[in-house]
Amino acid sequence: MKKIIYSISMIVMLITVSSCRKWLDLQPRDGITRAGFWKTKEDIQAAVAGCYTSLLAPPPGVNDKALTEYIFMYGEIRADMISAGPNATEDEKNVFDNNIVQSNTITPWAAFYRTINYCNTVLDFAPGVKEKDPTLTDAQLNAYLSEALALRSMMYFYLVRNFRDVPLKLTSTSKDTDLSELEKSPAAKILNQIVEDLKRAEAGAVTTYGSTVSDKGRVTKFTVNALLADVYLWMDNYSACITECKKIIDSQRFAIQNANSSWYNNVFYNGSSTETIFEFNNQQSTGATNNIFYNLLIQAKKRFIAAPYVLTDVFVPDDLDPVRNFDIRGNGTFYRTSDFSIIKYGIENPSYVNWQAYRITDVLMLEAEALAFTPGGGQQAVDIINTIRQKRNAVAVTAQTPSPEDADAICDYILAERAREFAFEGKRWYDLLRVAKRDNYRRIGILLEMISRTVSPAVQQSAINKFKDVNSHYLPINESELFADSKLVQNPFYTK
Amino acid sequence: MTKKYTYHFCFILFCLLVSSIANAQQINYVRGKVIDKKDKQPIVGASVLLVDKDRRVIKGVSTDVDGNYSLPVVDKTSRITVSYIGYKSTEPLPVDKAVINFQLEPSANQFEDVEIVSRKKSDNGSGMSIDKRDQTSSIGTIDAKELEDMQAASIDQALQGRLAGLDITSNSGDPGAPMQIRIRGTSSINGAVDPLIVVDGMPYDISIPSDFNFATSDENNYGQLLNIAPSDIKDISVLKDAAATAIWGSRAANGVLVINTKRGTMGPPAISYNFKGSYSKQPSAIPMLNGNQYSSLILEEYYNAGRQFSTTDFAKEFQYDPNDPYNYYNYSNNTNWLEAITRIGYLQDHNLSISGGGEKAKYRASLNYFNNKGTTKGTDLGRLSARVNLDYQVSTKIRFSADIVYTHIDNQNLYTLGLRDVAYNKMPNQSVYEYDEYGNLTSNYFSPSNTAQGSFGYDFVKSKISGTYNPLAMAIAANNHQLGERIIPKFSLQYQIIPDRLRFNANFQADINNTKVKTFLPQIATGRPFTDATVNFATDADGDAFTMQSSMTLAFTPALGKKNDLVLFTRFDSYDNRRTGQSMFATNTASSYLADPSIDGRTTAVGSAYSSFAQSRSVGLLLSGQYKFLDRYILNAGIRTDGNSKFGPNNRFGIFPSVSGRWRVSGEPFLKKAKFISDLSLKASYGIVGNAPRNDYSYLNTYQNYGFSYLGMAGVYSSNIELADLRWEKVAQTNVGVTLNLFKNALNMDFDIYRKRTTDLFYQGLSIPTYNGFSGIDMNVGTMDNQGWEFSLNAVPLKRKNLRIDFSFNISHNENIIREISPLYPRENKGKITQNNVYKVYIQENNPFGSFYGFRFKGVYKDADATIARDANGNQIIGPNGEKVYMRFAYPSIDYIFKPGDAMYEDINHDGTIDYKDIVYLGNGNPKLTGGFGTGILLNGNIRFGINFSYRTGYQIINGTKITTTSMYNYNNQSTAVLRRWKAEGDVTDMPRAIYGTGYNFLGSDRYIEDGSYLRLRSLTAKYDFNNKFLKRVGMKGLSANLMVENIFTFTRYTGQDPEVPVKLTAFSTVIDNSTTPPVKTVTLGLTANF
Repeated sequence: MKKIIYSISMIVMLITVSSCRKWLDLQPRDGITRAGFWKTKEDIQAAVAGCYTSLLAPPPGVNDKALTEYIFMYGEIRADMISAGPNATEDEKNVFDNNIVQSNTITPWAAFYRTINYCNTVLDFAPGVKEKDPTLTDAQLNAYLSEALALRSMMYFYLVRNFRDVPLKLTSTSKDTDLSELEKSPAAKILNQIVEDLKRAEAGAVTTYGSTVSDKGRVTKFTVNALLADVYLWMDNYSACITECKKIIDSQRFAIQNANSSWYNNVFYNGSSTETIFEFNNQQSTGATNNIFYNLLIQAKKRFIAAPYVLTDVFVPDDLDPVRNFDIRGNGTFYRTSDFSIIKYGIENPSYVNWQAYRITDVLMLEAEALAFTPGGGQQAVDIINTIRQKRNAVAVTAQTPSPEDADAICDYILAERAREFAFEGKRWYDLLRVAKRDNYRRIGILLEMISRTVSPAVQQSAINKFKDVNSHYLPINESELFADSKLVQNPFYTK
Repeated sequence: MTKKYTYHFCFILFCLLVSSIANAQQINYVRGKVIDKKDKQPIVGASVLLVDKDRRVIKGVSTDVDGNYSLPVVDKTSRITVSYIGYKSTEPLPVDKAVINFQLEPSANQFEDVEIVSRKKSDNGSGMSIDKRDQTSSIGTIDAKELEDMQAASIDQALQGRLAGLDITSNSGDPGAPMQIRIRGTSSINGAVDPLIVVDGMPYDISIPSDFNFATSDENNYGQLLNIAPSDIKDISVLKDAAATAIWGSRAANGVLVINTKRGTMGPPAISYNFKGSYSKQPSAIPMLNGNQYSSLILEEYYNAGRQFSTTDFAKEFQYDPNDPYNYYNYSNNTNWLEAITRIGYLQDHNLSISGGGEKAKYRASLNYFNNKGTTKGTDLGRLSARVNLDYQVSTKIRFSADIVYTHIDNQNLYTLGLRDVAYNKMPNQSVYEYDEYGNLTSNYFSPSNTAQGSFGYDFVKSKISGTYNPLAMAIAANNHQLGERIIPKFSLQYQIIPDRLRFNANFQADINNTKVKTFLPQIATGRPFTDATVNFATDADGDAFTMQSSMTLAFTPALGKKNDLVLFTRFDSYDNRRTGQSMFATNTASSYLADPSIDGRTTAVGSAYSSFAQSRSVGLLLSGQYKFLDRYILNAGIRTDGNSKFGPNNRFGIFPSVSGRWRVSGEPFLKKAKFISDLSLKASYGIVGNAPRNDYSYLNTYQNYGFSYLGMAGVYSSNIELADLRWEKVAQTNVGVTLNLFKNALNMDFDIYRKRTTDLFYQGLSIPTYNGFSGIDMNVGTMDNQGWEFSLNAVPLKRKNLRIDFSFNISHNENIIREISPLYPRENKGKITQNNVYKVYIQENNPFGSFYGFRFKGVYKDADATIARDANGNQIIGPNGEKVYMRFAYPSIDYIFKPGDAMYEDINHDGTIDYKDIVYLGNGNPKLTGGFGTGILLNGNIRFGINFSYRTGYQIINGTKITTTSMYNYNNQSTAVLRRWKAEGDVTDMPRAIYGTGYNFLGSDRYIEDGSYLRLRSLTAKYDFNNKFLKRVGMKGLSANLMVENIFTFTRYTGQDPEVPVKLTAFSTVIDNSTTPPVKTVTLGLTANF
């Protein structure tokens, strides 16, 4: 009897164990598993689209600010074009006062790395599709990879400009067993990686997707060139910068529009104009989500307003006839004087105005800045600025007449003009820092002068003293990152 | 031809003859009469059955009006038996006569004058039933007899304080609010923490799956979780140590609660009706300021903060200006908001059951209707449940059972749990109903969109309510309605392969559990303008769970002679659970009467529709055996394999052994003479149980869609990290215990010491560096211990014919200690000690959980002189230039100089500044001892008095209500304690000055830490059973009435509402009492009638 029971139970056990393995293997119905994905070229397209969507909003279930919000804040909040609105958080006010500690809630870099990880995922898994989908051509695959490379480079460029040395992760994170701790890589190494990646991207990127909206909203060869030009200028590689700018300008695909009443609508409100090289497309018509700026800049409890300095010094009213003679970028288009609201991104709730990443004027002025430091390029640089000013109907009071030999003076002029052209587009801080840090912080005075304008009088002296330490120009690594990675070292200024 | 016929005829005749001869020996028909043995009257309708050797029925008839029967007999081996409800069945007799008469004995008499020595069989629910005296593991059992007098809506309420090692706390006193059940602490910090509930041998789900999107209005109650009517319960056992829980495998890591329901017994139909009705009242609330006191406080707060009030519009709300009649009438009241939302609660519970059965079939059916109107307006719970338990005995070998349970729940909840807090804080000068500008009171709720206190806010991403509103309007007008339908059919088959030796048992159970939650937030509840997205906000969420479980057991009891007993047992379980959830919301519907989200609203935001599907499966195979030698040495060993679909292929199966033993010392020859010892046993056990994580599919890297597209292309992103490395969380438990029963079980004692060690502790969302693209990951992070001891005592000190006294007592102690933890695990909570109302919590290896740190409160600076810094000797510190140095706060980062009237904190290191260096240990939120005791007195066999206490000692609570009601920092109403606040230089008091929006007067300090120890007179009961004489006259079998009073007194030094605060264990949780509805005082009248 015992024998029978024993053998029966053994058999039952063997059968159940082997069939249980299958029975316990369950697959989710919502969502696709990695094993089930990466089969066709459409999968690659969906994943690449995911990289773009991550620019506009955090993915569902992730509680974070949108990436665009970080880009806006990082580019503006440390500079002089915006001030704290009635609902600015304590941490944001601290940044305005140049009182930044490692627990400050604007310092997390997770949003940038999230997009980097999506790009890495495409770069890791898309090439494998080639074997499974014979209809995928090499050119098509390379085009997709170029988009991912360009977006990843753009994210690393933001990180380098804000944190200087950051961990460089070039592979995707998909398995818990692959996790490892990383150290910071020096900024120079990351910049070289960016240049290398962008060169690769340039080779694969398309010049057009066949529709204007896609050409502006997705990465094209010209996006890569613009990004490269920006990176080269940051690295003070003037000749390379000029070469990249030339590629864009010579393509004849972009043009500055005339100053008329529809200019704002064409370039910003509707977007995808001839001026734009790359934009984050928020338009409702394409199924995208609204931009984040209504809550940030428009509603009664807004967090940021235009700084008084913008009204008095950047867009100086014409002293003769301010009503008829005005800069088209000033009051009523980029901001409104009545309540200091920044209206560049629409005043509707919600608003769908695109985020402009690169416009032709940006490239022109990058070229101008590079030319200013190129022997014999001074006059050309001044001419570029004047062309733009003319197109924008800039008022005479803001005109400057630098000597073509005086690179610093031309640079100041470019800075002033960039402040007008790219007001509230998240570029101001990098412009100031780029100029200030050139030749071993020869012109640190620009930053010191700027900080004395922006911080509250009570903390002015301490803010200036802090800014004299060039390490303070970069943000601290958020403390939660330091807890999570023992190899990560806080940036120099914030270690005390 | 004729010849042939003749031959045939002869042959037939011969055959007939032969058969008639045979008839003379055998019987073709059997007939007879069935009469009552006592009164010799014929019994009508008794069933007379012919059965085979396995008692399988071959043929049967009923007796006629004269008690006669007649049956054809086909098989000569058949035997005959008679049964009738209310009578003892006869043993099967061989059919050896043509006429067999029967005399039946009434069954009511069968136990007359027989004293039953009850020996509880305890059941771990699995079907392997073992005599309680032979148990090797730690199991606590409670008979429903003890519970049946309680009015509790659910059994978890009734179990409070009744069993050692079982800690039950209520989350709030509102109807349908779930209880938090913990058996020997929590073994996991982030995995599943609820114990497994087993009903009639099958697991019973009590938690709402997290993938049901019900979180549309913050945390809520889902009342239909443990909704078995208490009157249907036969007994409840708590399996505590691993040897006991190992049988249940991976879902039993937090202990098991085994519930058996009542089943039918043989006899005439017994009808029982049970009624309970109760009346409950809220205990008195903390006294709060009235409108006038409040308004002057606000003005003082502003003055002290150096603020100008007159510039804001809100100033009107405090000006009491008759020239502004609308504001004057609406903001010059003395409203008691708490009173406005409180009412008397009522409860009624009707239970009707019928049970009975015959030899073959037994049944019990019950119908229960429960209705509870809560003490907070806008809350009630209705429940209708029906249960049918059927048993059919096909033969002595085969038995079928079919049980069907149906429950319907209709629960009206508060829209937000924070209602009572808002009522506490609400400005008392505001009116409940709106006055018009002529001073006439209207019937509209006064719900201004914005007051000085702020406005209502709702975070759609986090589903979180913030801000303030008119509490009464919120309670009455806003709707949060839950409907639940649950059907549990269960079928089982028992087959005696070898009678009394080898038994096979198969069970199949389905569980169909549908829940619907509809909420609606009309404009009037919040007063927000119609453009606001929270206005007329309607949600509808549906969650359907479908579970199929099966189990097969095989039990073998070989005959090994008198000295040896052996039980071998194997069990196979399968579990399949599928869940689908849908929800949608719409906001800004056109009218407050359009409360359904399917009506298009103005706003359709991302996430306005949701649906999910998830499935999980598990299997388990148990092999177990118990061996007993000489009735003294008992050894039990088992091994269980568990497989779970939540793990990746590499870690899917886990093997968990258990072993336990018992030595009955009292059975040894040297103790034979000590007659007073009924049982003295030592028990020891060790076992491992695995715990599976909460989430399904986490071992797969899934890609999901964004809620919008980019340039018309749908975006896909990688939504998680593949958890290839996630392993079983293992809970290894060691238990050592002593059982001592004295004086024929008149005094029973149990003592257990245990250590529950959880290794590979789950942690959800452990921070990882975000350069990975994710900020958190689920991981096995460390080792945690739960250790403690339990003691329980049951005694019958007096047992006379007309007086019997019972006494029971239990006490237990448990503590949580982290032994080892991943370096990635944060070591302190995120709070900044330099902010008001923040306590620090640190994790340290080998130290118990739940300790909190903060400043020491020393009173209030009475004047400027008092704020001068002093050194360790008490001398004033003088600066280098001879200037006075004043006490500062958090120099240099904040550098606030204390002013007269500010709260004074102890400068531990005498450096003249109060900062993180001055924080000290303040207390621990885990109780040192918990338990309960009670006594019962039975007079004359029919009058019973009972009294029950529950207690907890040795823990500290942060009195959160005290913080918020004495902070004087914003527009919240404060308790009357602030009337003694510091007002002018020289005031000596312990209440700091009022100061709006600044200052450091309510830092985390010992000012709010209180000893939470309490002793609660949980219940007082009186029960009267009507005597037999009376019952005979009215024709009833039983009638009893009882009266019970609950939550009568709580003896405590705690000054808050209720010291019974559930500990939600995470490593950094502190026990904060934010005063939800305290346990209400309840008077219950009960009536039980049996027919």
